[in-house]
Amino acid sequence: MLRFLALRLARAALTIILVVTFAFVVLRLSGDPALIIMSPEAPPEAIEAFRHAWGLDQPIWVQYLDYFSAIAHGDLGVSFRDGRPAIELVGERIPATLQLTVPALLLHIGLGVPAGIYAALHRNSTTDRLVMAGAVAGFTVPSFVLGLLLVLLFSVQLGWLPSGGQDSWRSMILPVITLGFGGAGILARFTRSAMLEVLGQPYIRTASAKGVPWALVVRGHALPNAAIPTVTIVGFMVGSLLAGAVVVESVFSWPGVGRLLVVAVANRDLAVVQCILLLVASTMVMSNLIVDLMYGVLDPRLRAGATAGAH
Amino acid sequence: MSATSLPAATTAAPPRRKASLPPLVVIAIVWIAAMVLIALLAEWLRPYGITALDLRARLTPPVGFGGTLKHLLGTDELGRDVTSRLIVSIRISLMIAMGATVIAAVFGTTMGFLAAHFRGLVEQFVLMLIDFQASMPFLILALSVLAFFGNALGLFVVLMGLYGWERHARIARGLAIAANAQGYAAAVRQLGARPLRIYLGHVLPNIASTLIVAATLSFPEVVLLESGLSFLGLGVQPPMTSLGNMVGYGREYLTRAPWILLAPSTVIVLTTLSVSLVGDWLRDRLDPTLS
Repeated sequence: MLRFLALRLARAALTIILVVTFAFVVLRLSGDPALIIMSPEAPPEAIEAFRHAWGLDQPIWVQYLDYFSAIAHGDLGVSFRDGRPAIELVGERIPATLQLTVPALLLHIGLGVPAGIYAALHRNSTTDRLVMAGAVAGFTVPSFVLGLLLVLLFSVQLGWLPSGGQDSWRSMILPVITLGFGGAGILARFTRSAMLEVLGQPYIRTASAKGVPWALVVRGHALPNAAIPTVTIVGFMVGSLLAGAVVVESVFSWPGVGRLLVVAVANRDLAVVQCILLLVASTMVMSNLIVDLMYGVLDPRLRAGATAGAH
Repeated sequence: MSATSLPAATTAAPPRRKASLPPLVVIAIVWIAAMVLIALLAEWLRPYGITALDLRARLTPPVGFGGTLKHLLGTDELGRDVTSRLIVSIRISLMIAMGATVIAAVFGTTMGFLAAHFRGLVEQFVLMLIDFQASMPFLILALSVLAFFGNALGLFVVLMGLYGWERHARIARGLAIAANAQGYAAAVRQLGARPLRIYLGHVLPNIASTLIVAATLSFPEVVLLESGLSFLGLGVQPPMTSLGNMVGYGREYLTRAPWILLAPSTVIVLTTLSVSLVGDWLRDRLDPTLS
């Protein structure tokens, strides 16, 4: 278990280093920041001063190391547009994004997992077909289309819910549904196939052959085994949830990190973009670590530390 | 692993489906064919130019909702014909998605082959890149590249082409390693063929069907990605138009002219749906190992 954790931690650190390197390389490849930020007609002394102030006159590897140490100290630069530290700008938007993503993730799990289990246990029933159709819809209807259709129906036609903004709990309903629905469908489909696979295993037949009641077979044998691949996919879904938040926040004018990212990209506010990129990378790394820890809880083989020879 | 898979073999595999096409797949193929035709013939099919204004017929609804035959799907705020814009958007969105899918397949397969051929450090490096790509949401990486470089159509297509390369790389690497262990690759190697010839002439044809299925499955995702970015105003830039772009523009007129947005939305949904239906069907037919 310890060895397993150490390996995972090393990989997590590597991912962060790669993201920082990615940001650095892309930033440097994109041209001289001095010329991008200041107009090309700016006096040469001003450009020189700018380069010096930002350390752009140093050799590239010094810049690279400086970049790392700055990030390690929590210095993620200053928004070019606004003059405030990027980390502050991003930080104040995080609660709004969590307000959408956490309920949406709960919707994924709360709706998708039971629906998938039910569909697997009642194969070819109407519910099964509905779950599969929902999964296909979740995969093929882009969130911006779904969001706008919901606005058209519930805000424009019926006038029940606000079409955007962050005024009351009612303005959360449509964005959360938009963000949560597709993922719930995908998760349901995945849970269903994981369950079906487990239900086809010989130990399930053994258990029911020796007279264990079906409900106990499902609870004691099928569910714990199907949980492992399902947890993996939930970990992956955090990424698509973050990407989805970018689009959904834009559709509903929700003042979260995703909306900030779109505005920052349009304005080429590099410090803010880079800060969000790191935030997303850390979130992904964290969620992957949590998934790995969940494996430890769910899979007794890992708990016993028998990983060395397992593969 | 081998010990557990032995008894599992007793649960018989489901019988292979018959060769007849399911009706849904037929409809999907017809829809895709129609979209491809529209994309190819866009310049002849569109009744008006995409920037041609008809100021006296602004915000005309589609035929059947109070509109005229002059503008089948109505017009937008500037009196531009929605049908024409839709046709050209289909062309541009499909071209971008097609180009991007091909780039991803070629790049991914090359990386996979390199990893399989050199093994060792090269392989570790490729695997690290694959892990990195798979662990970051692509939309956010793409957005940051657009922030750093600004937007140009060529760069945009290449960027979309990075989507899904890791899946091709993973598949190509696995299959090439397996192929290298098989007789035919060893035989041509013994005959003195160079690596390039072995991989392109012998290994690639043998694994192509799997790669094509993988590409079919990632095509709709690229369509969604492109339309999402264009919707946000960060993909295809006006005066050019794409499906996502039209939805983004139509959003401003959601209350007064919902048809501007509904027409491209319908096309996006039906196209991604059709391609994934056909892709799933192809996968089941050609390659049951992919899931």
